[in-house]
Amino acid sequence: MDFELNDEQRALHDSLTRLLSDRHDAETRRRIAASAAGWSEPLWRQLVDLGLAALPVAAAHGGLGGRTEDLMVGMQAIGRSLAAVPLLGSVAMPAAALQSAGGDAAGRWLPALAAGEALLAWVHDEPDGDGRGDWVALRAHPDGQGWRLDGRKAAVPHGGSAQRLLVSARVRGDDGDADGRALFLVAPDATGLQRRGLRLIDGTPACELTLQGVAAAPVTVDGAVADQAIGAALAVGMAGCCAELLGAMELAMALTVDYVQTRRQFGRAIGDNQALRHAVADMQVSLEMARSMAVLAAVQADRPGDPTARADLHRARLVVDRHARLLAEAAIQLHGGIGMTEEYAVGHVLRRVLVLETACGEAGVHVAAVDRSVPWNFALIE
Amino acid sequence: MNLDLTPEQAAFRDEVRAFIRERLPQDIRDRLRLGHLPRKQDTLRWQRILAERGWAAPHWPRAYGGAELGQVERIILLDELQRAPAPVPQVFNINMLGPVLLQFGTDAQKARFLPRLASLDLWFCQGFSEPGAGSDLASLRTAALRDGDHYVVNGQKIWTSTAHHADWMFALVRTDAQSQRHRGISFLLIELRSPGVTVRPIRSIDGAHHLNEVFLQDVRVPVDNRVGEEGQGWECARFLLANERSGIANVGACRERLGYARELAARTRRGGRLLSDDPQLRHELAVLDAELRALEVTNQRFLLSPSAQAAMPAFASVLKLRGTALQQQLHGLLVRLGGAAVREHVDDEDLDGVPHLVERYLFARAGSIYGGTSEIQRDLVARTLLG
Repeated sequence: MDFELNDEQRALHDSLTRLLSDRHDAETRRRIAASAAGWSEPLWRQLVDLGLAALPVAAAHGGLGGRTEDLMVGMQAIGRSLAAVPLLGSVAMPAAALQSAGGDAAGRWLPALAAGEALLAWVHDEPDGDGRGDWVALRAHPDGQGWRLDGRKAAVPHGGSAQRLLVSARVRGDDGDADGRALFLVAPDATGLQRRGLRLIDGTPACELTLQGVAAAPVTVDGAVADQAIGAALAVGMAGCCAELLGAMELAMALTVDYVQTRRQFGRAIGDNQALRHAVADMQVSLEMARSMAVLAAVQADRPGDPTARADLHRARLVVDRHARLLAEAAIQLHGGIGMTEEYAVGHVLRRVLVLETACGEAGVHVAAVDRSVPWNFALIE
Repeated sequence: MNLDLTPEQAAFRDEVRAFIRERLPQDIRDRLRLGHLPRKQDTLRWQRILAERGWAAPHWPRAYGGAELGQVERIILLDELQRAPAPVPQVFNINMLGPVLLQFGTDAQKARFLPRLASLDLWFCQGFSEPGAGSDLASLRTAALRDGDHYVVNGQKIWTSTAHHADWMFALVRTDAQSQRHRGISFLLIELRSPGVTVRPIRSIDGAHHLNEVFLQDVRVPVDNRVGEEGQGWECARFLLANERSGIANVGACRERLGYARELAARTRRGGRLLSDDPQLRHELAVLDAELRALEVTNQRFLLSPSAQAAMPAFASVLKLRGTALQQQLHGLLVRLGGAAVREHVDDEDLDGVPHLVERYLFARAGSIYGGTSEIQRDLVARTLLG
């Protein structure tokens, strides 16, 4: 077992930390959030220059290898800076799906994703779904040589900035069936596609989609291939969310440690009070649990078809989501009034947690997956 | 990063599992599975079987009966023992006193005590706490005055687990009456048969006798039984506590109790339906499973990664806080699953075959008190963060 970052990962960690702390302070973040686009293309360019977009793409397609533990370093740094950038949903998840599905679409789009020349929005969650992989109600119908899509998709982060939408759809079966799913590419200006732009509670730009007879190019209509591709995207997505939440927790922790040592009441630092010290200690325990599970998730995300690895990803989400919420709430409490203000960063951590905890599956999905994976008879574990 | 066992480590795990399957007496396993703590005889019998492989003292040098296991192998062995469930090697002998003797003992002391600690021919208990010195251990007052080649010891120890089973006690005593706090404390090995030693039982809330008071009145202890230099006792104690880290999370014990909870739920009907059909319970079990996995990986990360230790020097406190919280939660869950039936009080002597869930739940309240209360652990974590 080896829990240390390798040299490349450490170098990436250092340059990301430098870049984001220099170029992405609270004031910059506020300005970006208030802009029409809601995210900063120049900042994204700088991250691309550091190789972030190439991380999730295999070397054969012009990337840096596609290992999720490398991506984890990037997502953690993004979480720590609360940067709204489209790395996970518009690069890493579609890259994982395309790499799994293979074919022409992979050859066409993966090099562009790796180079940061294109964004492909991952369009899977639906308004009536719970974020699990097999819940796909949006229908695909053959139409002459091609296919047409009908249905709705829930808020897609950065969906308005993508060159193509990578859309899950159903070619046969019922809404929750594992079989009968397919993946398609849709042009953002396709006829019949309605996009309603919105902002998530953390400021991330997103859009809801309504599709009525929208022409779509198939990536795969083979149910087994689509199953694996969607699974691959969600695995990377779950691990990425864990890493980003870990980074956000680190930020809240650092702000809190600093604040309770600085803020004085009754003639002394509030961090001298045992009640507050113990709350800080409990935050650290939460942070350590989340850190372990983010590492586990990153390692297990790259093991498609391994049921233990899959269950570990869901365990990681349960643990990280729960402790992120606990830590962020405690961080606001320890800050007192200033923690409630929009201009101070600690509240934004909780906003980010609220958004990430429903990405790639809601809590019930993770609970059900873990429940199914453990036998009732203990001896079966041996 | 790599969280896998090497092929050699995986083979070691299989070897341990096979050994436990073949050699662990069924009656011991059954009793532990029902929630009983191992009896003295259980620990003796099993530790002597483990000693054949050196696993009675896994990390000690071979010369003294150990197996010189590395950290990963130690984690594997402890985990498999706890999961079985099997008794773990007697902690006072193996995890506490043994390492102190190896570090601070004379060659004569090592030769005299270590092999007999490993084989459990001598049973040691720990004499640290006193009525006025619990969390604030350094305020201890038991006095040892030099008289020729002996110390004359007067004072009282309390909460002394297994003193009624023990042949010897290792104790912290004040050898310099003028000294304050951490100075002037020495580490003595006291034979409990010595004149002037009185052991009195303390019944705990589970109805059982684990704890004792030990009264020391003019007890003569040869100077040869001092470990380390005079005044070096606090250093020995700190070293001892630092060595306790590797088993502090008790991951395997939690895993075993969670497995038992699932097993109980799957065969217990209440109100006409199986407990395992209750979605609320299944939710709770899944969350516990995930939280336990987090403790397991955190335990591995802290014990194996130098950078993780450097980033959080109070890592043992993190492990103990989380480990005891999960254990207490699991015992609470088991009591709930047991229902009204397990509230029946069963005498110590009449234990076999009867589930012992409520007694274990009660005993588990001690987890966040002994070995440094959870409040002390939070203080230690906070100190590394806030100074």
